[in-house]
Amino acid sequence: MDFPSTQFVPSRTMGTYEPIHQIGMWGENFKSIGNANISASVIVDVANKLENESETTSHEMLTPSSKHDQEASKPFDKVQRRLAQNREAARKSRLRKKAYVQQLENSRLKLIQLEQELEHARQQGPYVGGGLEAGLLGISRAVNSGIAAFEMKYERWMEEQNKNMCELRSALNAQISDIELRILVESGMSHYFELFRLKSIVAKADVFYVMSGTWKTSAERFFSWIGGFRPSELLKVLVPQIDPLTDQQIFEVCNLKQSCQQAEDALSQGMEKLQETVSATLASGQMGQGTYVPQVAMAMEKLEALVCFVNQADHLRQETLQQMSYILTTRQSARGLLALGEYTQRLQALSTLWANRPREPA
Amino acid sequence: MQQAIPYKSWPLPCVNASSRPASSTAVPPRTGKSNGGKDVLEIVSENAVIVFSREGCCMSHVVRRLLLALGVNPAVCEIDEKDEAGVLSELGMMSREKGKTVQFPAVFIGGRMFGGLDKVMATHISGELVPVLKDAGALWL
Repeated sequence: MDFPSTQFVPSRTMGTYEPIHQIGMWGENFKSIGNANISASVIVDVANKLENESETTSHEMLTPSSKHDQEASKPFDKVQRRLAQNREAARKSRLRKKAYVQQLENSRLKLIQLEQELEHARQQGPYVGGGLEAGLLGISRAVNSGIAAFEMKYERWMEEQNKNMCELRSALNAQISDIELRILVESGMSHYFELFRLKSIVAKADVFYVMSGTWKTSAERFFSWIGGFRPSELLKVLVPQIDPLTDQQIFEVCNLKQSCQQAEDALSQGMEKLQETVSATLASGQMGQGTYVPQVAMAMEKLEALVCFVNQADHLRQETLQQMSYILTTRQSARGLLALGEYTQRLQALSTLWANRPREPA
Repeated sequence: MQQAIPYKSWPLPCVNASSRPASSTAVPPRTGKSNGGKDVLEIVSENAVIVFSREGCCMSHVVRRLLLALGVNPAVCEIDEKDEAGVLSELGMMSREKGKTVQFPAVFIGGRMFGGLDKVMATHISGELVPVLKDAGALWL
């Protein structure tokens, strides 16, 4: 039978060595984040109490022969030394505890910040990133309210849009006069222009929100170009729906398609240049030291051009729609608007279908 | 305080790309103001198409790419931040619509103020841009 030898250490010796052992343990626990709640004073009290006990037991520790002779000096020195050691240990323990508490406080702050960031990101979708340096709370509230306002307005816009589509559909089938149809067409176009205006406002609050197309369905986002539909794509979809066109109209529509393409290319190239500029700014200076506030601040300035791009893209969409309405007759414009509306609805239906598709069992 | 305009316009040491068919003498970049640089008036009258912009501005890049796609090689004048206010006010005075504030990028066609990126895009879509460029002699064909 083999037992570890410590088990047979007599209790009185255990009593002697315990105080130091216990305080040493505090250091171990501290590292492993264990018993953190013992206050320094308690440690000292315990140390003192055990010291008092050990004082008596130390007497018994000594060999009987030398006990009476050296009682005055040796035990006294040893006691003093032990007291000093314990005081030292207690002091170190207090310092360690202080450092530990500081560490806890920092972690707690970091956790709160991360939670806020998470909440912020959750509310706004996957593409928005908060800037810790930018005073997180203040700016996110303003951004959030701008975005919340836009989402509400967009919901109403969609309802109105569907209403317009229904009216247009029944008007075309009912063969109403061109003048009345013209009013519906104008109202339909104005409705799109209203959306561009709303987008411009929310772009000032958070341009990344507009760029990501978070408010739209997934299929619509797939076709997104600088925060909306691509004018040339639009023309490709619409034109077959508004046949027959006169030769003159075909010529003009062809020119419009080409102009759109050129304008889009120019904007796309500008966007590439912006990416290059922001990337170069962000990557400037030495990397690896963990300090980068100036680079990030400069990159922020450059990013403001993104708002211009969103506005220019919407401006292009508006001009394209406007030009189409000049080239086409009222009836053709009405059919075009209807086609555009339904194409969007098909995209939205695609998104819903996709989201609800039966997944294969794992 | 405005610069005196009639006989001395804002001196510009700026980068000048060649613009057909106007002759463009190479401007020594960034030397002295009054000696090496040209004046806004001179530059505008010498070039069929010229774009004034800030340095490294992405929107002026858009304007340039669009004009290039049309077959026009526009002259470009990049303005230093310190000259910005002066140049803008001078350009504003040269504009036909006196009340409107000029912004960068500012496009001049045929020696006259044409407009900003908005105007260029709108006229391009409506098909009016190409005739204007042809009239100014910036485009043939």
